[in-house]
Amino acid sequence: MLTGVIDNGRAAATVAWSAALAGEHGAQRWQRAALAADAAINGFVEVDAARDAARGDGHTLAGVPFAVKDNIAVEGFSLSCGSALLRGLTAPYTATAVARLQRAGARVVGKTNLDEFGMGSSSEHSCFGAVRNPWNPAVVAGGSSGGSAAVVAAGLVPFALGSDTGGSVRQPASFCGVYGLKPTYGSVSRFGLVAYASSLDVIGVTAADVVAARVAFEAMRGVDQLDQSSVDYPEQAPAPERDRPVVGIPDGILDGTDPAVRAAVHATRERLQDAGMRCVPVELGSLDYVVPAYYVIATAEASANLARYDGVRYGVRDPDAAAYGAADAEEMTIAARSAGFGAEVKLRILVGTYVLRSGFQEQYYQRAQRIRTLIRRSFEHAFGEVDLLLMPTFPVPPFAGGAAGLDAFQQKQGDLFTCTANLTGHPALAVPGIVDGGLPIGVQFMAPYFREDLLFRVAESLAERYEAPRPPAYLGPHALLAAGAAPAGEEG
Amino acid sequence: MATATAADGAAFQPHIGLEIHVQLNTASKVFCQCRNAFGDRPNENVCPVCLGYPGILPALNREAVLGAYVLARALGCELSTRTVFERKNYFYPDLPKNYQISQFGAPVGRDGGFTAEVDGSPVPVGIREVHLEEDAGKMIHAGDISLLDYNRTGTPLVEVVTQPELTSATDAEQFLEEFRRMVRFLGVCDGNMEQGSLRCDANVSVNRAGAGLGSKVEIKNLNSFKFVRNALAFEIGRQAAVLGEGGAVRVETRLWNENRDCTEPMRVKESEDDYRYFPEPDLPPFCPDAQFLAAVEERLVELPLARRHRLRGQHAITTQQAAFLTAEPDTADFFERTVAAGGDASLVARWLGADIRGHLNQRRETLAASHLTPDRLAALLAMLGNGDVSGKIAKQVLAKVIAEDREPEAVVEEDGLRQITDAGELLPILERIVADNPRVAAQIAAGERKPAGFLVGQVMRHTAGRAHPDQVHALIETLYEPARNGGPGDHD
Repeated sequence: MLTGVIDNGRAAATVAWSAALAGEHGAQRWQRAALAADAAINGFVEVDAARDAARGDGHTLAGVPFAVKDNIAVEGFSLSCGSALLRGLTAPYTATAVARLQRAGARVVGKTNLDEFGMGSSSEHSCFGAVRNPWNPAVVAGGSSGGSAAVVAAGLVPFALGSDTGGSVRQPASFCGVYGLKPTYGSVSRFGLVAYASSLDVIGVTAADVVAARVAFEAMRGVDQLDQSSVDYPEQAPAPERDRPVVGIPDGILDGTDPAVRAAVHATRERLQDAGMRCVPVELGSLDYVVPAYYVIATAEASANLARYDGVRYGVRDPDAAAYGAADAEEMTIAARSAGFGAEVKLRILVGTYVLRSGFQEQYYQRAQRIRTLIRRSFEHAFGEVDLLLMPTFPVPPFAGGAAGLDAFQQKQGDLFTCTANLTGHPALAVPGIVDGGLPIGVQFMAPYFREDLLFRVAESLAERYEAPRPPAYLGPHALLAAGAAPAGEEG
Repeated sequence: MATATAADGAAFQPHIGLEIHVQLNTASKVFCQCRNAFGDRPNENVCPVCLGYPGILPALNREAVLGAYVLARALGCELSTRTVFERKNYFYPDLPKNYQISQFGAPVGRDGGFTAEVDGSPVPVGIREVHLEEDAGKMIHAGDISLLDYNRTGTPLVEVVTQPELTSATDAEQFLEEFRRMVRFLGVCDGNMEQGSLRCDANVSVNRAGAGLGSKVEIKNLNSFKFVRNALAFEIGRQAAVLGEGGAVRVETRLWNENRDCTEPMRVKESEDDYRYFPEPDLPPFCPDAQFLAAVEERLVELPLARRHRLRGQHAITTQQAAFLTAEPDTADFFERTVAAGGDASLVARWLGADIRGHLNQRRETLAASHLTPDRLAALLAMLGNGDVSGKIAKQVLAKVIAEDREPEAVVEEDGLRQITDAGELLPILERIVADNPRVAAQIAAGERKPAGFLVGQVMRHTAGRAHPDQVHALIETLYEPARNGGPGDHD
């Protein structure tokens, strides 16, 4: 295990990957292996190792393959957002975050499956079918970046990009036993990320190795003229006031959570203490209004953001072709949206339209914004006392797919721990906690604005004490290289 | 103006407010780098941003914000120190995102005023607000299909809303004409109503005098001054007639039908539009700093009405000439520069209004782009003034200056156009003509005056117009004076 090792500015864990995919044969070998492995998890919606050429050496991510959630634009690749309405759409441009990774040498090898437009916690709401958890196909991979978590957990790529609006990177990362970073709002350009809720959306990273996540984040971050909500990332982290970060655990945060989730938090706390870090209780105030406020704001913004999908300029006008007989533009739009959007998306558009009606804004949207301000203040206050906060990622372990799992309302309630960071804009990182009953359970840390360095530091420290297990079918670069070196291989 | 009266003889009072849309003439669109131009091939100036592709974000064009602030400042508005963009939600195929980025709660400017002049009397009108927004595209209906041109989509548009303080169709037309001159003087818009860079909707309500505003009717599609005048006159008459018969005016939106010369109701909506405005999360509020505000001040100019008054006061020109000179900023500038270079104001105004305009119209050139410069015109008029050229020759010189890009002095010298005033040079020519026309000579000798004109004309012909006609007359006088002194008088 090469966790934590930096070799000449490159994450050691990614170096083997660029070797595994080197050359035409390497790419083909990977493509075959990835497609075969993906049949079990349905994490990819598109796989193509040949399209995005490997770039020169000397860069921090030279030749390293990565996957991109299918709601982030990569020119020439799919941009379906998991929606029947956009199925078949090819992105005409590349997201800034992706372009920066490419400039650092990395190459896109595929697009990953997701909940439609990022709306969901199970990656079951996709026109491509549900993503399955690499640890157990009967269990969901989490969502909405379930594909990006699953393909990383299965060892098909070292890292993948996801988007996190209310926990959509961290929750699937925790469900699949990998790292999941939700950066500070504004630190990574959103240009090219298909908007769900613009004031909450952030491009994040899932990675099997924390150093790979850090290197990828460092390549992506920074102000972008194309995203005016992006900011200049402070290059110099403030000098640490303490040798070792003090970790706060919010009072009562484990109330009502599953025992296995509590066990994951406890195990993590013990490892922190082993590493000489202090864990202290911290008063955070009520989180009762977090989920309602989050859903009011998210759906309000979504109702406008998703209005553009009308089948007029791009996308599928109407999968049943009924719209072609429409009498006018309005009928055509209604037909396209009725047929193209899934039920969960329609629900959120309706809720968002409702809360924005004139005369109701004070009661919903503006009240939610005030709650948001109060929550941000209470977290800012907490970060005056501690360096990091440790919390569960999700109140229950990875749940079963389909009707046996959580219903849509329970899933929304489960966003409690993750969506706070989206409301406040703070960075948060999901890290592997324990494996219980054959399923991984992660936990998350939150840090002050632009203190991703603290998140990585604590995660690297934990990785030295806990080597997160891989699922049984884990592929990884070494297996790929070994296959290539085997006498049966075609490579010279 | 229609002046219907109520049954009891009470007068009706029209109240008119205008919503003027000013398309800013920035080089690029308001949120992307696409060209902002009229008349290009349909859908030539488009990109993923202005087509509202998934994942795109707006990036605010500072020049457009500057133009909006300049206009608001020129209209005497209170300038916003923190102007906010908001999403105005409505579905229409020419609006790619199905929301328009506009302003609502915190527009660029508020509470200003602008004064026009009608028949020499000032007509001041309050300005309610000035806000910046993106324009929509164009939908062209052709038979049973509709075509979309998105070139105009995302071009910067400033909406100016007046108070309902205009009281007649003529006043409204004059106000709009003065407004058009103003935006052209400011250089923020070309004011071309045919091309739609200046557009106008009007709100009209007629009520019994002194009873305040009546039911508001909005009239759209007023894309020429004539339409503004005719539509408002019609609508005032229509509403007065309804009220005169004891009826009630329905609150509605009507369209000016230019073919039938009447306003007609648009499709009646069942409910009031709810645009569900909310702050645009993709754009931070714009807070002008001192440097920006200084740039606004720098762009301010003397407005046409003030300039008209000043020119009238400073120079011996007529009201009509002052109006012509200040119709276009270029003309006014040219006039003042020519006068500064020594040109006689009255003469300059006359030449600009007649011959120069004629040449430019014929050549389809603008004053600014023509070869005539203020210095050249001043030099030409100086030669005319001191008798170096006659009025007729001066016109020829003007034509050559404009057509051949030459200095007027050079034209006169090189083309031998200097006026001949020297009697020694003129006398032999005159004598030759007298010799060739003995009958005429005899008549003059007999004391007849009319034939002298014939002789002058012949001399002009022989000198290609260069002979100074007064000089020739004087010569004739001296030739025949002795003879006439002795002869009988011809006082018939």
